[in-house]
Amino acid sequence: MRPRTATAISAAVLVAGWLLLTLGGFVSDLFLPPPSQLWDALVDLWQEGYKNRSIWEHIGQSLIRVLVGFGTGAIVGTAMGLLMGYFKTIDSLFAPFIEFLRPLPQLAYLVILIIWLGIDEASKITLLFLAALPVAAVAARDGVRNVSQIRIRVAQSLGAKRSHIFFYIVFPSALAEIFTGARLAIGIVYATLIASEIIAGTNGIGWMIFDAGRFLRSDFVFIGIIIVGIMGIAIDRLILMVETRVVHWAGKQ
Amino acid sequence: MAKKKELDIRATLLGLLAVGVGVLAWQMIGTLGLVPKALLATPAEVWAALIEILHEGYRGTTLFENIAATLGRCILGFLAAVALGVPLGLWMGISKMTEASLNFMVQFLRPLPPLSYLVLLILWFGIGDFSKIMLLFLTAFPTIATASMAGVRQVNRKRIDAARSLGANSRQIFHHVLLPGALPMIFTGLRIAIAAAFSSVVAAELMAASNGLGWMVFSASRNMRTDIILLGIILLGIFGMVLSRTLVAIDTHMIHWRGYD
Repeated sequence: MRPRTATAISAAVLVAGWLLLTLGGFVSDLFLPPPSQLWDALVDLWQEGYKNRSIWEHIGQSLIRVLVGFGTGAIVGTAMGLLMGYFKTIDSLFAPFIEFLRPLPQLAYLVILIIWLGIDEASKITLLFLAALPVAAVAARDGVRNVSQIRIRVAQSLGAKRSHIFFYIVFPSALAEIFTGARLAIGIVYATLIASEIIAGTNGIGWMIFDAGRFLRSDFVFIGIIIVGIMGIAIDRLILMVETRVVHWAGKQ
Repeated sequence: MAKKKELDIRATLLGLLAVGVGVLAWQMIGTLGLVPKALLATPAEVWAALIEILHEGYRGTTLFENIAATLGRCILGFLAAVALGVPLGLWMGISKMTEASLNFMVQFLRPLPPLSYLVLLILWFGIGDFSKIMLLFLTAFPTIATASMAGVRQVNRKRIDAARSLGANSRQIFHHVLLPGALPMIFTGLRIAIAAAFSSVVAAELMAASNGLGWMVFSASRNMRTDIILLGIILLGIFGMVLSRTLVAIDTHMIHWRGYD
């Protein structure tokens, strides 16, 4: 048996189990909707949207939040990390805050952000900014620290200035790790976004799942989870694509 | 060595200085009334809140109870994921067939934000502890299984061949070559998984719980008790660091050969 066949059989068993459970009446539609109901829900969402907004608006809202929060957090975090890697003193000053923020569950500070900035976009974007910042900073710092000393010495002995060394040696060498950090960060930002939309949202795809759950519309919940999954994979692939373009030399050194 | 030690001390002192200045600035903001009292409790008030909660508890729950609830859920879910994820990952690493039959499900689950399926878990299992532990299990499981599988796959072929040509049977190869070879990567997976589980437990407690540190923070926000919110955030930060440091310590103790390979 070829591996591909095994995957097909396993997937078929899964679908058959789903059909048997739902159509056989073993579980209520409330808990696990049958495929036909999921299809109807998908068509419904496509045509009517959810709660006065089209499905694209919900997806768009979520994507904009991810983009702005991740973008700002990654840029500021990377800049901080580069400085921290380059100057020991800056590292010592910032490290305690970064080390504290990094393992801190993101949703813990959402609550205080909502009190400070209100329940709208500002608190969510700040949340995502803070989620991305420490991850990007640590990646950039480690990237700078792992730059081969020989390269720096070679450049120095060839008469390169400090700024030259930074822009031509340190930054490009650290880029691979910066991108690894960025992929990690966007994963965290995305999970945080969905959580924040569920806990304190009024739109967005995470909110749609939460709201549908409240009204026991498990068909919309399922569709929502699938959309969230696809979006997550798409975002990750996008970063990976940018990475292989920009850092085309990674893994070939 | 002496130079390095000196540098470490300098870094620690600078770090303490930065934290001290930060706390002082935070206190001054409150004392000078730069922001309304309701929005930002001062460090002194946070300290007072800690003493208050230690003595009287928070809304009928003791601080210890809330810490135990959060850590207990997190660790239970994580351990269940280790118990199932490591063997399954190893099996998928060894057998191409097992990988083909199961991996697509693991890879679907892995990038999914955990809170998105919490709604479903609550619908299925109710709002109690079981749905939360299930959530943490599902958060940690795909990462651990994937890391274990990748760990087996990156074991050097030559070592397996060498062991086989020296007469090792497949059992011995697994115990003496594959498992130790996979361990470093498994531990990297465990570290990522526990961080993710800790984030998820707090999110789940914000959404639906009647105890735990996440619940305490959420409940305090309803009553505008910023002192308790900030206390909760600081405690969560400390426990987050403790959890990740603990795994790093186990890692360096057990995988003492990391980086020497």
